[in-house]
Amino acid sequence: MTWLTPHIGTQLVDFGSAMLLLTCFAIVAQRRLSACVDLFALQSLFLAMTAALVAFLTGTRHIYIAAALTVVVKVIVIPRVLKGVIERLNVTRELVMKVNVPASLLICGALVMIAFFITQPIIPFGHLLTRDSLAIALAIVLIGFFTMISRQKAVTQLIAFLVMENGLFLGATAATYGMPLIVELGVFFDVLVAALIAGIYTNRLQDAFDSVDTTHLSELKE
Amino acid sequence: MIKDQSILQAIAITLAQAIVLIAVSPAIVGLIRKVKARLQCRQGAGIFQPYADLRKLFRKQPVVSTTTSWIFTATPYIVFASTVTAGLLVPVFASQMPLNFAGNIIAFVYLLALGTFFLILAGLDAGSSFGGTGSSREAIVASLTEPAMIMAIFAIALTAGSTNLSTIVHKTALLQGIVTDPSSHLMALAALFIVTIAETGRVPVDNPATHLELTMIHEAMVLEYSGRYLALIEWASGIKLLVFLTLIANVFAPWGIATSLTPTALSVGLGVYVVKVAGLAILIGTIECMFAKLRLFRVTDLLGVAFILALLGLLFFYILRG
Repeated sequence: MTWLTPHIGTQLVDFGSAMLLLTCFAIVAQRRLSACVDLFALQSLFLAMTAALVAFLTGTRHIYIAAALTVVVKVIVIPRVLKGVIERLNVTRELVMKVNVPASLLICGALVMIAFFITQPIIPFGHLLTRDSLAIALAIVLIGFFTMISRQKAVTQLIAFLVMENGLFLGATAATYGMPLIVELGVFFDVLVAALIAGIYTNRLQDAFDSVDTTHLSELKE
Repeated sequence: MIKDQSILQAIAITLAQAIVLIAVSPAIVGLIRKVKARLQCRQGAGIFQPYADLRKLFRKQPVVSTTTSWIFTATPYIVFASTVTAGLLVPVFASQMPLNFAGNIIAFVYLLALGTFFLILAGLDAGSSFGGTGSSREAIVASLTEPAMIMAIFAIALTAGSTNLSTIVHKTALLQGIVTDPSSHLMALAALFIVTIAETGRVPVDNPATHLELTMIHEAMVLEYSGRYLALIEWASGIKLLVFLTLIANVFAPWGIATSLTPTALSVGLGVYVVKVAGLAILIGTIECMFAKLRLFRVTDLLGVAFILALLGLLFFYILRG
């Protein structure tokens, strides 16, 4: 283990968080719903790998459990559920967007800068090897939030919500080497249930309006 | 005396690198065509076919429309000269270019842009509608790739602490495989690869193998050219492709490049260079087979992604200080 100096460890963690942010941008640029789900699964896999790496480098056991749960819940179960939902729908891609792809990408780039400037005063005080990831975690939360607002299909909004949750998980790992296990278990359960409920709700939306465009929900019906 | 010798050596190294770029480029174009043909279960022409094509074109009489101005006949020479000059600024097989003082990466970008600008003018010059369409499309692509390219290059320049290509490559080569900013470099690499594909008119953006008027960009601009003018333009676009591949290979993976001017280092550098560039050419050929050409209005999405990747590369340099 002589090659695994703290410096290389930090770089590996940084690299993992960079990949998380990259998949975030890929989700923003992607129009096909099923590809978005795949990208979310990939992002969760990167998250689990980064978390496992942090667990290995710091010897914090309970992060391993959280990483394993991430693989089970976010890489396997939730993408399956979402794929099932998408199969029932009559749309395969996001056609009408409130903000088009290049503009969304630019706005997300600006969000990364904002996240960086907000966290910049805090980061030098941290001495954890994950401290650089805090800016990226905040950026992922902001991008997820922006995607939820700017997309109209319920499925994309759900994916954006899950992306936000990934950002929060990364933030918790970056700031404090993870939350207490009991809190993390609760969060995983919440996310799973939220995804299931949103899946059912999407199906209901499809039955009621013959579309999963959530803007229909703000129209008055007689 | 020693001073004289080093000047002679510098001139020899510069000339040798330029000659390698000019001489190898048709073979790289041929290699990409061969890879594509093999992947499509065709036999394909040999990789040295482009040399024969160029020789044939140089022998033929050029036909120039009477409606064209001097720009039309001057453009092939300007494009060829500006591309070769840009190539002089890129380290090919020795990391220290004697022309280092003459220009940095920004000069490199705008020398290539000068060629593109004149090609756009020449496309309009003959007054045909295809030329106009091609020029308009090329202008869109060029204006969108430029910021992405500049950003990607700045991301690398920040790590090396210099905008001089020689210094960047030399510093990275001396590190011997230790990458100081992996995330930042990876983003810049991805951005620069998309830029390469767009700038050299490769498949997701433009199709170099077709003369179908609906889809072509570069081919539409040069449709009016024939004879030696066409040969010069084709050769210049081959050199441009090779210059971009050289840039990617040497900036991101400068391993094996000659950091000193001993004969062994130089010959190893040349061998490694040919292998690296051939590998990249095979990659481009494979990508051309795997993807369909994008609709013109989706090209902006792809180039937007390239810009964002480059921007992230730049931001990661500051965010991930390690």
